[in-house]
Amino acid sequence: MNVLLLLAIILFVLMIFIGGKKGIRSFFSLFLNFAVIVLTILFMLDPHINPVIITLIACVLISYINLLFVNQINSKTIIAFISTIVTIVILLLFINFITEITMIQGFGVEESEELAVFSLYVGVDFVKIAASVIIMSTIGAIMDVSISITTSVNEIFHHNRSLQKKDLFLSGLNIGRDILGTDTNTLFFAFFGSYLGLLIWVKDLSYSYGEIINSKIFSTEIVTILCAGIGIALIIPITSWISASYLVKTKQKS
Amino acid sequence: MRAFINKIKDMSNRQHAFYVFITFCFIISIVFIYHNHSFYDKPIAKVTETSLLETTKTTDEHHNEDQLFTQHITAQLKNGEKKGKPIFLTNEYSSSGAYDHKFTVGKEVFVSIDKNTDKEGNLTGKITNVKRDKYIVIVAWIFIFTLLIIGKKQGQFTIISFIINILLLSYALDIYVNYTNTDSLLWISALLAILFTFTSLLFINGFNEKTYAAIVTTLFGTFFSLFIAHLAMWLTSENGLHYEEMQFLTRPYYLVFMAGLFIGSLGAVMDVAITMSSSIFELYERNHGISMKSLKKSGMDIGRDIMGTITNILFFAYLSGSIPMLILYLKNSSSLGYTLSMNLSLEIARALAGGIGVVLTIPISLYISIFFVNRKREKS
Repeated sequence: MNVLLLLAIILFVLMIFIGGKKGIRSFFSLFLNFAVIVLTILFMLDPHINPVIITLIACVLISYINLLFVNQINSKTIIAFISTIVTIVILLLFINFITEITMIQGFGVEESEELAVFSLYVGVDFVKIAASVIIMSTIGAIMDVSISITTSVNEIFHHNRSLQKKDLFLSGLNIGRDILGTDTNTLFFAFFGSYLGLLIWVKDLSYSYGEIINSKIFSTEIVTILCAGIGIALIIPITSWISASYLVKTKQKS
Repeated sequence: MRAFINKIKDMSNRQHAFYVFITFCFIISIVFIYHNHSFYDKPIAKVTETSLLETTKTTDEHHNEDQLFTQHITAQLKNGEKKGKPIFLTNEYSSSGAYDHKFTVGKEVFVSIDKNTDKEGNLTGKITNVKRDKYIVIVAWIFIFTLLIIGKKQGQFTIISFIINILLLSYALDIYVNYTNTDSLLWISALLAILFTFTSLLFINGFNEKTYAAIVTTLFGTFFSLFIAHLAMWLTSENGLHYEEMQFLTRPYYLVFMAGLFIGSLGAVMDVAITMSSSIFELYERNHGISMKSLKKSGMDIGRDIMGTITNILFFAYLSGSIPMLILYLKNSSSLGYTLSMNLSLEIARALAGGIGVVLTIPISLYISIFFVNRKREKS
């Protein structure tokens, strides 16, 4: 039997056992996410479509699946959805600029042996693809922060409906700050785990600090981690502001 | 403006000192990174002029169309004996840029200088790498400032625990590479995991019962999930895992993979543990008489809410990195099935194992937190 199948079955059973119906939805969302990633890649093969636009559409789909499908459509999830998209657009512009100036696209010298069998002149824009890789690695964390903030701000407003927009915004920020540490931690360790081979390689071949910071492979990883942190921080004020404005506005109407 | 001045007045001396210190570090590092050429042994040159020599269209055997460009670059050497002298370089790049770069005026590059000068006595050479350090440092400062401005104190703690974790990791790997035998990697990462758990959780949440409950939970959760992953791999004799995709290997692949899995799921497990224990303690603090049953129920509800999103964080973080390689495979006429199984098997295994860790941690966390709550209840 295949390891992946066995692990998937274990995860599925555990998710149903602990999460019930929501567990089933969470498990399915993993599959849908995978399908979206594969589709995104297939569209990126076409050199005539801008990879940044494909990424943006993919992010909208992913947020739809994870926020609106898993948690069902309501005002909270819609706010989280809008905030995620706004943050992604800002972050995408920033990251696209960063990948261009740092020239971290494509593959590094260390990979040349492996790449020897491939034709590298394939026509797709690897600079933009590098930007989309960074965004896609962060989107999970960004959605997590935005849904946590909208849920809690909503809760606070229901307990005390006299709160002003500014108070709501500030409590949103406070909640966000509490998750900031744990979510960046989750991402950092996930990245450390997948870069472990590279880190040992660098130590084994005794790279100097200068070689490490300037090498394409390594700086790609550093930029990914840093941009992920920036994204997680950025979504906090954006979600807090959007939820605070929305809640106060709907109260005035009613 | 006045609000800003008032804000500065409101700050305590310690905060004041901290901001002054940060600004000082910022200025020093920026000045240093722009003038650090003499610290490098390899020659560095700054591009002063570029001209496009020729453009050719290519079509490879898989019918991919691309454009190749040749550019002439004049650059000025910034270090070494020939500092200040111009050097002439030729660079080839493609419009896709998978392995090459287009250089514009102002970019700095590492070069190798040819032994012989050309007919007019000018220096010539080849570009060996891009000088990326200043951009990396600038992005790092943007990261630090974003976290400090938005996260305030928590942002500060996040940065400090991040730095400590990097130092720990680097130090542990130094010990591993220099002093111990290859097989000790798993022991070292187990030790690292324990240290990471302590530093991260104590930094994020401080010394209190919540944190202690979360630490115990994290240790149990990570070891359990690693055990299950190991068992699953043993039962299936690792059928379906393509270790050949692993890049940068100087050590046995199985060890590197398992140790990576270990450290990779640690963050997610910690996230679940601290969220669960904070909420359960919060419920108890709000209502000291809360029944065991309703604590359990609320705890499970919270667990259900975070289970999917945290698994997703891992899933995207692991899988996205493979996108460029997948594109290269597919563009070189590999079939979709072959491409996915060759490039993603390890990442998917990591994500699934991490997900198992996350879900398993929910009940573990629930019972350990309740145990700590009960202990607190008895004391009071």
